[in-house]
Formats: sequence, structure tokens, C-alpha cells
Amino acid sequence: MTELYRLRSVTKRYGSNVAVDIDALTIDSGRLYTLTGANGAGKSTLLGILAFLTPPTSGEIFYAGERIDWKSDMVRMRRRKVTLLHQSPYLFGGTVFRNVVYGLKARGIAGDAALRSVDRALETVGLDRFRDRDARELSGGEAQRVAMARALALGPEVLLLDEPLANIDRETAVLLETVISLLPSRGTTVIMTTHDPDPPAGRNVGSIVLEGGKVAAPRVSLPA
Amino acid sequence: MDFLVSSFAEALRLIGSFSPDVVDAVRTSLSVAVGATVFAALFGVPVGLAVGLSDSRWKGFAVTVLNTLMAVPTVVVGLFVYGFLSRQGPLGALGLLFTPTAIVIGGTLLASPIVANYTLASVRGADPRILPTALTLGSGRFRAVATLVGEIRFGMFAAVIAGFGRVVAEVGVAMMLGGNIRGYTRTMTTAIALETSKGEFSFGMALGIVLMTVALIVNLFLSLLQRR
Repeated sequence: MTELYRLRSVTKRYGSNVAVDIDALTIDSGRLYTLTGANGAGKSTLLGILAFLTPPTSGEIFYAGERIDWKSDMVRMRRRKVTLLHQSPYLFGGTVFRNVVYGLKARGIAGDAALRSVDRALETVGLDRFRDRDARELSGGEAQRVAMARALALGPEVLLLDEPLANIDRETAVLLETVISLLPSRGTTVIMTTHDPDPPAGRNVGSIVLEGGKVAAPRVSLPA
Repeated sequence: MDFLVSSFAEALRLIGSFSPDVVDAVRTSLSVAVGATVFAALFGVPVGLAVGLSDSRWKGFAVTVLNTLMAVPTVVVGLFVYGFLSRQGPLGALGLLFTPTAIVIGGTLLASPIVANYTLASVRGADPRILPTALTLGSGRFRAVATLVGEIRFGMFAAVIAGFGRVVAEVGVAMMLGGNIRGYTRTMTTAIALETSKGEFSFGMALGIVLMTVALIVNLFLSLLQRR
């Protein structure tokens, strides 16, 4: 297991409010991390920083050993390795296919290769017959699955999930839970926020707890 | 009352018979309005987008300026452009005063703040998740903004149509910069003003009906887009 992220003295301020204030945090590749904390603890802000969408106010972030320069094109390249899935994902107007193929097109992948990736991703989330459906006419659970397929189609190194199992039906929750749990074994690092009192545990699962923007108790359950 | 009824009947007859003066005024009005709207869109849409997406501390000031420009009376715009295009003005040598081009220039200045403000409103009203979603899926800044534009395209169309509505219905710029020359720069609005003052009420009414019909169609289209 290798170190993927290293955060050093990272803060994020909004005016006088300190959303995140992390002295040190290391995240290894190929693992599943739960990110927990009360509302306003800084979970979403931290996910935004890890997704390279929100530059920190101060501090250093290393990804795969490289220090991130937020003003260079490097951020965009790193962003392509990390995908953030919001709790309430936004689906673009048009078909399910247009949504799932979006990130592939942004990477210059088109034609049969894109088609295969889209079909595989939709199949993984049980929506293989939804390819031509209007994305705006889906139920909440279906929309969440499309958003997950959209992320999976990209085969990201890191998948950041903001409350992926909240506000969805039981069937979708079970399906997504299964999909998420399989990702680390395929090399994808997963970091997911959760309020679940019984979060995933066991082998290869790490835990990051935030309290008032600070890492309270990084706990890692080591292989038995 | 008979006067109004007979004028209305005569107005309908003029429209139905495709009176050359009516046709010329309608054609000039629509062509300068379309020209001005195209230029206003080319200028106003990027400005509205830039202000809407900006994080600059000058954003509030820029919004105030755009709002103020939207309220500038048409005769003031006419006066300003007249100063530039008149013989003694810096652009006098181009000989543009009292041409359709001059009306297009004035119309562009009139419509641009409207297009920019409506575009700005569309950006502000857009779902805040659009840009982060596009970025996290691997888009660069330009592609992400293009995606945003695609998602709020109906608001943008509404912006352009509102600009057209402003230009086609105004009289100050067309009168001052076009000179109301028959068959050349006479628009529907300037023709109405002139013919009514000459006592040709039926003719003015005919153009008024056409203008109202155009305004109605534009606004119906606008409300249709705003509902989407």
C-alpha cells in the first residue's frame, strides 16, 4: 500500500470561519476510508480539497508524492484522476448516455471505447436499459446510480463520495454499498462521508474523524 | 368612436394590401433590430458570463454599472452616438449618420446591457452544482463554462430575445441616428411618430398593429423560454 495523499498544515477559511484546519493527514491508495463528523465539521470542504476543486487557504498537499501547485495546469491533470460524487448529484440535461459519456469525452475518449465504458458502468449499477432515458425524469435513487456510473466509467484512482447512501431507497443503497466495497480491491481509493452509525469496517478500511475542521482521531483497522 | 373604427379598418386594409410604405418600414425595423441584436448578443453574452462567473471584488460594481446602462434613455444613447457619427465627430468621415448602420450601432448599445443583465441573471440562477460537476468529471475551465452555457441556454435565448424586443420597439435612436428617411431608415416606430403628426392616423395604426404583433410574438416566445 502506498501513500496517495499527504496533507500538511492545510487550512481552508471562509472569511473568519475556519472550515478545515488539518495539521497532518495521510491517505493510502487502494483503501476505503470513512469520513465522519458532525454537520459543519468540514467533511464536504475536505472532500472539495481532495478533489482538487477547492484550493486550501494555506498548507501543502502532496498527491502521489507530488506537491500540488494550485495555479498550474497540474491541478486539472490531477483532477482527472479523482472524481467527487455529491450527495445530491447534478445530472446534465439530455439522456443518461450523455451524462455517463461526459467525462470520457472530456478525456478525448470517443467511439466504441466510450460506448463500452458507458455500457459497463451502467451495467454495474443495474441501469443497462436506461441508456437512452431522459436523465431529468429519473427517480432519486436512479439519478444517484447514474451519477455513480458516470464516475465509474472514468475508472478514477480516487472516488470521493459525499453521503452516497443518504436519502435513497434500500435497494439502491445495498447495490451502491456493494459496488463501493469492491472498488478498493480494483485499485480505487474510496473516501466516503457517512452518518451511518454502523459504517463499513474490517480489512482495508480506514477512518477519518473531523471535529471542528480538525482531524480528531485517525483510526485504521489493520488486516487481521 | 367612428374615427377609431374607420381608422382601424383602414389600417387593416393597408396591412392586407401590403402597402409599400408599410412593408418598407417593417423590413427596415426588423433588419436593423436583428443586426443590433446579433452584435448585442456577441458583446452582451460574454460580458454577462464573465461578470456572473467572476469572483472579483469589483463584481458588485460591474453589476451596478450594467443595471445603470440598462436604464439609460434611448435619446441619450442616440445623442452619444450622434456625437461620434456627426460630421464634426471623430467618426464623421465614415459617413454613417442617417444610415441603417447608425441605427444598428445605437441599437447595439441599447440592447447590450439588457442581454448582459439577462445572461448574468441566468448564471446567478443556474444550479451551483453544474461547474463543480463538470470540473470533477475532468473538464477544463473552458469546457466547464461551455457546459454551464448549454445547461442555461434557454435563459441565454431569453436574454437575446429581450434585447431584440428593446431595439425593435424604441424610437429615440432610430429617429436621431437614422433620420427617418422614407424607404431607407424609416422604421415602424419613427413612421408612426411622423405619420400620426401628419394626421395619417390609419397609417400609424397599421404600423402600430404590426409592431404590437411583433412584440406579442417576441414576448410569447420569451415567456415560453422562461418557463423551461
